[in-house]
Amino acid sequence: MTSSMTNVLNRSQKKVNRPSDDQLAAFGAELDALRERTLADLGERDARYIRRIFAAVRYTEVIGRGLLFFGLFPPAWILGTLLLGISKILDNMELGHNVMHGQYDWMNDPHLNGKTFEWDLVGTGDHWRKTHNYSHHTYTNIKGMDEDIGYGVLRLFPEQRWRPFFLGQPIYAIIFALLFQWGVAIQDLRFGKFFNGKKSGKEMLDEMKPFLKKTRRQLIKDYVIFPLLAGPFFVPVILGNLVANGMRNLWTYTIIFCGHFTADVQLFPKSVLKDETRGHWYFRQIRGSSNLTGSKLLHVMSGNLSHQIEHHLFPDIPAHRYAEMSVEVRAICQRYGVHYNRGSLVSQFSQVIWRILRYSLPSKYVPINASA
Amino acid sequence: MTASQTLKRLVTPLVDPAVYDFWAQKLSPTLSWDRCLARIESRHVEARDTISLILKPNRQFQGFQPGQHLNVTVEVDGVRLSRSYSPSDALRSDGRIRLTIKAIPEGKVSRHLVHHSKVGDVIELGIAFGDMTLPKEAAAWLFVAAGSGITPIMSLLQTLLQKPLEQPVTLIYWARTRADLCFSEDLHSLGRRDPLLKIHTVLTRESERLTNELDGRPRETLFRNLVPDLERRRVYVCGPDGFVGSVRKLLEPQAALFRAESFSPAPVVTRAGAPVTVTLSKSNLSVQVPSGTPLLKALEDSGLKPAYGCRMGICNTCSCQKQAGSTTDTRNGAVQNEPGPVRLCINSANSDLTLEL
Repeated sequence: MTSSMTNVLNRSQKKVNRPSDDQLAAFGAELDALRERTLADLGERDARYIRRIFAAVRYTEVIGRGLLFFGLFPPAWILGTLLLGISKILDNMELGHNVMHGQYDWMNDPHLNGKTFEWDLVGTGDHWRKTHNYSHHTYTNIKGMDEDIGYGVLRLFPEQRWRPFFLGQPIYAIIFALLFQWGVAIQDLRFGKFFNGKKSGKEMLDEMKPFLKKTRRQLIKDYVIFPLLAGPFFVPVILGNLVANGMRNLWTYTIIFCGHFTADVQLFPKSVLKDETRGHWYFRQIRGSSNLTGSKLLHVMSGNLSHQIEHHLFPDIPAHRYAEMSVEVRAICQRYGVHYNRGSLVSQFSQVIWRILRYSLPSKYVPINASA
Repeated sequence: MTASQTLKRLVTPLVDPAVYDFWAQKLSPTLSWDRCLARIESRHVEARDTISLILKPNRQFQGFQPGQHLNVTVEVDGVRLSRSYSPSDALRSDGRIRLTIKAIPEGKVSRHLVHHSKVGDVIELGIAFGDMTLPKEAAAWLFVAAGSGITPIMSLLQTLLQKPLEQPVTLIYWARTRADLCFSEDLHSLGRRDPLLKIHTVLTRESERLTNELDGRPRETLFRNLVPDLERRRVYVCGPDGFVGSVRKLLEPQAALFRAESFSPAPVVTRAGAPVTVTLSKSNLSVQVPSGTPLLKALEDSGLKPAYGCRMGICNTCSCQKQAGSTTDTRNGAVQNEPGPVRLCINSANSDLTLEL
């Protein structure tokens, strides 16, 4: 590290400090080097890890569903629901989300292929690959391009224009959290276009077909087949499945909102895309993401999205590597004076709640800063 | 269709093969919904750096004809890799398959199978292919093998000799040294079993030859001396690419029939910018594109419209299965010769490619 680089760090301005183009190029090269080092090291250990996660999903599911058959006995119901919820969370995050990014494509295992993997959610893998892998990851926090900014329902930044509709947002936020998988599932269907007449009913229905098919499968599984298997004890099974799905919804919502809607994260105008270099792209990903500190359990249960910054820098590297990479990423950020946003779950989620409450109320519209 | 096949077809929409395989393999490690897995039942040394594995495949195995080869998939350091190997035995009544594999210095799969595979390990088998198979009618044969090219030939010979021969059969078998010869005892006893079978071994790097051994490269005099009736022989040749090429030149114009298999050589890598052929296997289409250009752009320039997203290697939208050929990751220059998923936007062709598009 040269002394000139250290001088870049201006503590009073560290959150908005933007390194020069040359510095960003060097910054990008350091992150690229970290990426290459990690890629070169992928192997047996990573294969074993993801298979252990797959096994954990299977075992928790079977034990959870098994216990729910005895759900009339309250401890069995509670433990069964909890295990099924854990299974669904692991399947959604550490397994599904990460496999669908293509993080394990290098293994060449057809069961862990990013393009074909399907998860235990009502949203289809194909919708997700488009809205999340493509829109959200390529255009992270770019207003008008990353549809994850408030998911079209919430106003979380002063750069979004206030409307009286947003007064109800504390309530929408809770409903959205409870039904998070449904919100994500229909994100790409664009019902708005249908309601304001830009899309015909037939077009709408055609686009909905894969979603309806997947939804039917999911609903039949959780609310028909498994309850039927329980015979006369179907009620606790239905309730257990409902609560497990709800647990997963709340948890994924919490993690994902903590990743992009904490106090210091920044939005960007579309103009940043013009001639955006690798270094700029990395910088934007870091400025638009925030990490959670916590135990190993938190990292696994969040699909390592607790390392949201590393995930956005390296979306195709197996997520269980983010913890070790984060040490180097932080050091690199520090060298270039780039703010590395991290905090505990409680602190980060409080900031999210603050945003939800604050921006439900009118505030001065801040036109997005073209020099961000 | 049997009852079990009908049942399987009915429940297929409800089954996730990955989940089925996970639980089924707790019962038996080769059970699988839709993949042919085989257990290594025994292994023994055949020659220097060469072993034979006896495999017990699961019920998904669709069989093979003697002389054909199978794609064998193993996991090496977390990565599934496939190579083609020929069974070296006739069809067996117990359904077992014998594969004979020679470890080659840079061969990840062959080294893994020869040096690290254990009895009880499970490997995956593909369907059998190859047209060096036996016709129903009797014929006069000349088999030419070099190195581990002996494996399909051995399967053919074992099959032919299940009945007394009606016409002459000759095997000429090249190896470097005596220690590299496979199936020495088997070949010896086969040779004694039927007077119409003649076996000649040719050693290229052995300092001292025994009475019945020959030396040197394939040449016209050697073939003419050993097989004077060449024009009535059907000739099957198996060996390294260069060997097969030189034998082809000598024998193809004269023999009654000539077929050859060579070990798949590494993809022919061209200089950047030179044209390569990209075959799109699902669309049944092939196009010429310049090597060295990101495949997404190259395919688009040829008028095709593959799915894409970020165009920078982030979103995985343009990822598709590369079935054959060599590619370079344009971000870091890493060369990938193995089949597997490739992102079209950040990979360029180094050789002819087959993509599952």
